[in-house]
Amino acid sequence: MLSFRPDVILRLASHKTSKIMRAIGLRAYYARDIALAVREPGTWVPETIRQMRTIGVESLPLSMIVAAFLGGVTAFQTRYQLFPGVQLSVVGLIARQSIVLELGPLLIALVLTGRIGARMTAEIGTMRVTEQIDALETLSFNPIAYLSLPRFLATLVMLPALTMIANATAIFSAWATLVLATDVRTDDFLSGLRLAFTEFQVVYSMIKAVTFGGAIALVCSYEGYVTEAGAEGVGRSTALAVVIASVSILVLDAVVAAIFAPFIQA
Amino acid sequence: MKRRDEVMVGLTLLFAVVVGLGGTIWVARGGLSRGYPMYARFPWGAGLKTGQAVLLAGVQVGFVDKVELVPDGTLAVTMQVNKEYQVPAGSVATVDANGIFGDQLIAITAPKGVTTYMAAGDTIKAGKGAPRTGELLTKGDSIATDIRALTGRFRSEYVEGGGLSDTRQTIKDLTKLMAQMSTVVAEQNKQLTITQQALRRTIASVDSAKVDSTVVNLRTTSANLEKLSRSLDSTRVAVNSVVTKVNSGPGTVGKFMNDPAVYARIDTLLLRLDSITLDFKKNPRRYINLKIF
Repeated sequence: MLSFRPDVILRLASHKTSKIMRAIGLRAYYARDIALAVREPGTWVPETIRQMRTIGVESLPLSMIVAAFLGGVTAFQTRYQLFPGVQLSVVGLIARQSIVLELGPLLIALVLTGRIGARMTAEIGTMRVTEQIDALETLSFNPIAYLSLPRFLATLVMLPALTMIANATAIFSAWATLVLATDVRTDDFLSGLRLAFTEFQVVYSMIKAVTFGGAIALVCSYEGYVTEAGAEGVGRSTALAVVIASVSILVLDAVVAAIFAPFIQA
Repeated sequence: MKRRDEVMVGLTLLFAVVVGLGGTIWVARGGLSRGYPMYARFPWGAGLKTGQAVLLAGVQVGFVDKVELVPDGTLAVTMQVNKEYQVPAGSVATVDANGIFGDQLIAITAPKGVTTYMAAGDTIKAGKGAPRTGELLTKGDSIATDIRALTGRFRSEYVEGGGLSDTRQTIKDLTKLMAQMSTVVAEQNKQLTITQQALRRTIASVDSAKVDSTVVNLRTTSANLEKLSRSLDSTRVAVNSVVTKVNSGPGTVGKFMNDPAVYARIDTLLLRLDSITLDFKKNPRRYINLKIF
């Protein structure tokens, strides 16, 4: 027969809470180490350029393909959700708001979590389990300045750039889809595209992209950095990193919306 | 390899910045060139916001750039008009509905035959636009209220007051009347058919040769009458001539008929004859002296 044991529950809750707090604390220390590593530009600047190419330039085709389908499908579905009598310019408005404010930054971040986040965790984790990071430390080489900071900075810079290009690609794709496949004309689309537009909407999209980029880099590089137990550990860390980064992106999306959404209205 | 990385990263970032800034400016300004500003003032509650279309004679020529709330009860609206368009002088700007879901646009209506144009920065006179969805709904609500009242009145007067049963009775009576009329018409039709048949029989019994001879006789009689008429006419002319001669008095009869002196002499003669007759009766022997032997 099960009996109510408050002391056990309390001990369990305390254990779980301390575990969560410890995890947060460890990540905070890791973030602090990344910030401190800025003092070693000779170590991180060259690697940052290389990571920007890996993370940004090489992700450009994938981002554009995703954005093209995103914009086309969004616009196409929006057109056929309209009630009869609604002016067709609404399609341009909804497509712009959906792409710029939400879908563009969010989907690009989620897609790139799989591509660059997983790669980041696997790279750093492999270096960890093969003791390359230990070797760097032995040589008095700051592994965070060499491995984590360049990836963090590269993601922080390139994800907004990719998001910007993806937004433009998605809007172009939305226009092309509507004009070629529906009865919406270019004038209708452009009229809706310009309706109630403020520059802050683009800034809002960039705020999201920067936030998501920071989360991807921080979570994924940390999970790689603390990888244990060989190849299996690398796999586990990679999967965990992708999950945590994806959930973090969704949570941050809600937080950013809660803070900045009141300012995006024209 | 390192240099190539730098170039690729730089190009990607440059492309992103150009796309981002250029796209933002293009969307916000309605193109890469800004156009020129025009102003208008509308009353509060016009439902205007940035980006809404500005139409000139139905053609989009710009967009709403700025809407400011002025404490005097008006909205100061700044419009950006594309440089290739000019607003004719005397134009009127109205806020019209764009679709049926509450979106608005500014419609500029230009007077016909005007060849002068407003300058950039001028204020366009505001006019009264088409009724908005809210006004239409209010009007529709008012109409619905009237119809409801009318329906209630109709029900009380027509249904509850017995008008409906009267109408039903009237329709029933009319149906009965129609049935009776149908019977009468059928009977009349029957009689008419019989009459037509009798007429046809009568017509069939008429001898056409006799009719022809009668017609010939009638024609002969008519010709004789015509001759008689002509003869009477010539007689009338002759009599007229005699009467004229008598009236003009050149002959004996004329003088006798027309001369008063003749009348006077005859009258005198008659008086004398009377006196002779009287005297003859009194004294026959004066005039008759009969001697036999």
